Amino acid sequence: MSAPKLSLRDVGKTFRLKQGQEIQAIRGLSFDVAPNEICVIIGPSGCGKSTVLRLVAGLEKPTGGRIALDGREIEGPGRDRGMVFQAYSSFDWLTVQQNVEYGMRLHGVAAAERARRAGHFIELVQLAKFRHAYPNQLSGGMKQRVAIARTLANDPEILLMDEPFGALDAETRWHMQELTISIVEEARTTMLMVTHDIEEALFMADRIVFMSRHPGTVAANIVPAFKRGRRWRRKEEVLELEGYAELERRIMALMREQAPVS
Amino acid sequence: MIRRTMTTPDRRRRKAPWLAFQTPASRPAAILLGIAVWVAFFGLWEAASVGGMVSDLLMPSPHHVLAALARLLSSADFWGDIAASVARILVSFLAACVVAVPLGIVMGAFGVMEAFWNPFVAAWRYLPAPSFIPVLLMWFGTGEGPKLALLFIGVIFFLITLVMDYTKQVRAELIETSMTLGASRWQILRTVIVPAVMPNVVVAMRQMLAVSWTYLVIAEIVASTNGIGAMMMRARRFLHTDEIFAGIIVIGVLGLLFDMLFRWLHRLMFPYLAEHSR
Repeated sequence: MSAPKLSLRDVGKTFRLKQGQEIQAIRGLSFDVAPNEICVIIGPSGCGKSTVLRLVAGLEKPTGGRIALDGREIEGPGRDRGMVFQAYSSFDWLTVQQNVEYGMRLHGVAAAERARRAGHFIELVQLAKFRHAYPNQLSGGMKQRVAIARTLANDPEILLMDEPFGALDAETRWHMQELTISIVEEARTTMLMVTHDIEEALFMADRIVFMSRHPGTVAANIVPAFKRGRRWRRKEEVLELEGYAELERRIMALMREQAPVS
Repeated sequence: MIRRTMTTPDRRRRKAPWLAFQTPASRPAAILLGIAVWVAFFGLWEAASVGGMVSDLLMPSPHHVLAALARLLSSADFWGDIAASVARILVSFLAACVVAVPLGIVMGAFGVMEAFWNPFVAAWRYLPAPSFIPVLLMWFGTGEGPKLALLFIGVIFFLITLVMDYTKQVRAELIETSMTLGASRWQILRTVIVPAVMPNVVVAMRQMLAVSWTYLVIAEIVASTNGIGAMMMRARRFLHTDEIFAGIIVIGVLGLLFDMLFRWLHRLMFPYLAEHSR
């Protein structure tokens, strides 16, 4: 394998509570994401998968280990690691076009180039008709598409997605999954996504990192071999592939192992 | 008989009951009811006056008050009083906003700023502004100074707190999104926090402007030769109760007009808040 895009080595994160107690959210966590790979982190709730994403984004600092992008250690948030959140994060006071231009405006990209690039990504997420609409006029799925376009237009090295479709209805969800795969392909970007939806992980991932909890660490690093090394654009094609059900069962078994005793 | 009992429930089901839980009244009904409450109020007042239940001197009837109001509105002196009052409100409120809005935003945005300023601001908030009148009179004499100062300190600490609280409500995802797009601290403040909190800042201003009117009347009653409050105190000396009531009505109407002005400004400044969900 060539040099990884993103590498996490022995990463730990301990949160200190107000009463002086400490909670070890993540311990000894290591995995790599290859260039142009779609890597999906999945695991039971409370396993710290969102924390991993926040560490990579630089929104939290690890208490141990090393996280590096293209070999350079991460020191804080930066434009090379754009993040899409589960909660809608459109800037309500900006139109779709202005939202997508926002990052480029921060970095002083010339107006003409900004408009051109924004236009390209707005088309990619199929919102050309809504270019001049405000986020309040859009549906949830459209808002997430604005967020994806806004992040990609800023030209990040890696796209971080924290359960981006979690708030969407089932139909919009799979449309968004298919659309995201084609966008990532088109933009030739690397993606690290967190989800708790096994089907979503199996459909989207080139690599699945399964995390266990208490403390959160990598319990399995799976390349879904049933996909035969390629990406599938339509969800039903993946569901029919031989080996899909088997991997789904395996991940469910891992989930069940992790389930709290009740 | 039987037919009636059978059709009645049907008709009821189609038509919402008159007293429906948590259902807004229809627009025509709302307008009608809004007028009705005032008609009832003035009607009872008029009846009490005409019926001799209250002394005409202490509580003149509505038509006397309206006559006094018409008289006042046709005199240049009264318009001068209104202008003086409105000018005090505008000058003091503008000064309070110029200090409170930036300070409140900075306090809401940075915990360190809140830790430094808030113990001070919170303490001042609990000191009743009118208790400073004697000392304000000593400091500033009897000119505009003490009135503007009272209105200023009466409003500013509440305004700072409101703006700070609204700023804290700016969602973390917005700030973090901007961070991961590579924004600097100053850029986040300018391009995310300020635009995100602005609609609520205008709401806070609207809320505090109402308080400003309260202090205005206090200031003008205690120590002033002009303004609506001063006019009311003059009227008291000559037992012109009807003019006092007319003054109250004018203050109420002015307050309402300013409130409407701010609502209109809010709609004008933040058109993107209008929701047309599809």
